[in-house]
Amino acid sequence: MRFALRSTGNPRSQSSAPIPFHCLLLWRLYFLAAIFALEAVLVLGPLHIEPGFHLGVSPVAIVAFAVFLGLGHPWLKAQRERIPFGFIFFGGYLACVAAEICIHAVMALHGAGGGFSNAAVFATTAIFFFKVPLLALACVPLRLWIRMIRATSPLWFYACAAGVVSWSLLHPSWSLWTASSAGFGRVFQTATFASVQALLRLVRPDAVANAAAFSVESPRYLMEIAPSCSGMEGFGLILAFTSIWLWYSRKECRFPHVLLLIPCGLGLIWILNVVRLCALFLIGDAGNPEVADVGFHSRFGWIAFTAVALAFSMTTQRLSWVRKARSPVLSAPDGAPGGSSETAMVVREKLSQQQGESPAIRAYLIPFLAILAATFVSRAASGYFDRFYPLRFIAAAIALWYFWPELKKLNWRFGWIAPAAGAAVFLVWIAPAWWAHQQAASRLGADLAALSPAARWAWIGFRVAAAVVTVPIAEELAFRGYLARRFVSRDFDAVLFPSLTALSIGLSSVVFGLMHMQNMEDWQHLLVGTLAGLAYVLVLRSRGRMGDAVVAHAVSNLLLAAWVLGTGDWAQW
Amino acid sequence: MTKNLLKYSFVILSLALSSCTAAYGMAFKRLPEVDPSLAISGLTLLAGTLAVLRVRRKK
Repeated sequence: MRFALRSTGNPRSQSSAPIPFHCLLLWRLYFLAAIFALEAVLVLGPLHIEPGFHLGVSPVAIVAFAVFLGLGHPWLKAQRERIPFGFIFFGGYLACVAAEICIHAVMALHGAGGGFSNAAVFATTAIFFFKVPLLALACVPLRLWIRMIRATSPLWFYACAAGVVSWSLLHPSWSLWTASSAGFGRVFQTATFASVQALLRLVRPDAVANAAAFSVESPRYLMEIAPSCSGMEGFGLILAFTSIWLWYSRKECRFPHVLLLIPCGLGLIWILNVVRLCALFLIGDAGNPEVADVGFHSRFGWIAFTAVALAFSMTTQRLSWVRKARSPVLSAPDGAPGGSSETAMVVREKLSQQQGESPAIRAYLIPFLAILAATFVSRAASGYFDRFYPLRFIAAAIALWYFWPELKKLNWRFGWIAPAAGAAVFLVWIAPAWWAHQQAASRLGADLAALSPAARWAWIGFRVAAAVVTVPIAEELAFRGYLARRFVSRDFDAVLFPSLTALSIGLSSVVFGLMHMQNMEDWQHLLVGTLAGLAYVLVLRSRGRMGDAVVAHAVSNLLLAAWVLGTGDWAQW
Repeated sequence: MTKNLLKYSFVILSLALSSCTAAYGMAFKRLPEVDPSLAISGLTLLAGTLAVLRVRRKK
């Protein structure tokens, strides 16, 4: 399927003057999508607004937009015109969002209990139809929308058709989750239950299975397999990942051969889910129901998804049967059939040098990834209390020690501004709790008190050491050393810290804030995490030394540790 | 033509199914794995690992 994309003939597109990427058409469309995604997260999260109209429109809009961007990517990327940002339209959009929030606040205050009255539904729907065009016009002027639709025609039709297909699939796909006897979810639930029952019979033949209630029981533990626990989440996540990955690597993959890997991935995630449920039962039956229900239940799901996703991506890169053969030009650069293999190797070597990430990424990212991986493992093996927290410190310390020969080349010196910024971040971090004179509820203090004194102080020692040493180094390398500079250039290690842009500073700080959210409604940590990220990156930018950012981060964490241990405000940990 | 149609149809179907699933999960909050804080950590781990695996060879 090829689209005859017509040239726009725009004289300004011929200009050779460098244009900031955020003024280009493709990036404006990405920005449009990001704003809507952020709004959706806020609507469903901290603002506590009923999704209402968003819920019905979202799948259609997401699919239509993704198809338009995906199929029209070559044309959109080729547009080099500088696009002005419509601040007036953006102001109108923000006013619409504010009006929407006000309507919901008024409804909540006047006895509607947060629900919708007919007037509120009408008003918010009307606002929705106002704000979408306003944001669209703020990002891209009307004349460019018209030109884009004309130039990419009939792409708009395919995108809309894809959206309608998604709409028609909305309710059938929801029915997959229903537990009614007629629902597809029941078929999935039955198959998963039968598999778990068969597998458990091998190791616990005395476990009692109740097919009517989809439960497996022993004297010490009862496990019920709900429809949502029967592997549908894994199917959804793997389908999303594989489709995005195949799109990303479409030029390297051989179609339709590579599509056969999809059912393999789905089958693998389903088998791992059966293994997860069996292990869950065995952990609970062994006398650790809290570990089974709280830690293992969801963490192992993510571990399994990550493992399958990595296996899928590695297979698409390594298995020659699903990889696209090199083009004749590349395999025989001298033009002769089966030309000089030596020259072809040189061409491939040059290509592999141009593509992919900078080799320096390993030293910057692996310590942080080690912490994340250790967190999943330690939390999967714990209940409410993360008794294996020292694993995070050890994993990060090993990674940092391994990459230290590369990392020691960075400038680790620091000045007085670093501890001052760290202290300021600490004050901002604890300000909400200090202002409210109220400590959030936390089980950590009671869980620590239940340990022996030696175990308690060992745990606290590792917690403080991680907060002050390994976490600041690993997070600063990942967020400031890599991510902030990666937003500027693919060769991030060639970007000097003082040349970080406002966009890279802002985006990396928001990602840092997102990483500190503890749940969907935790807007407080999102906000203070973002502010902390901004402070650290600004210190780094002003001095140009990694040491300043790390020391600022370490001082914040050290003061926070002192606050927690001094006041018993365990929720801050 | 057939291959491309198959390829695009698959991508559209997958996006439709996964967006429906995500919309369901976000609306009803029944899914522990779709909990945003866990999802952010999991996706960061996956994206970071994929980025490290796609490192180019040294010149």
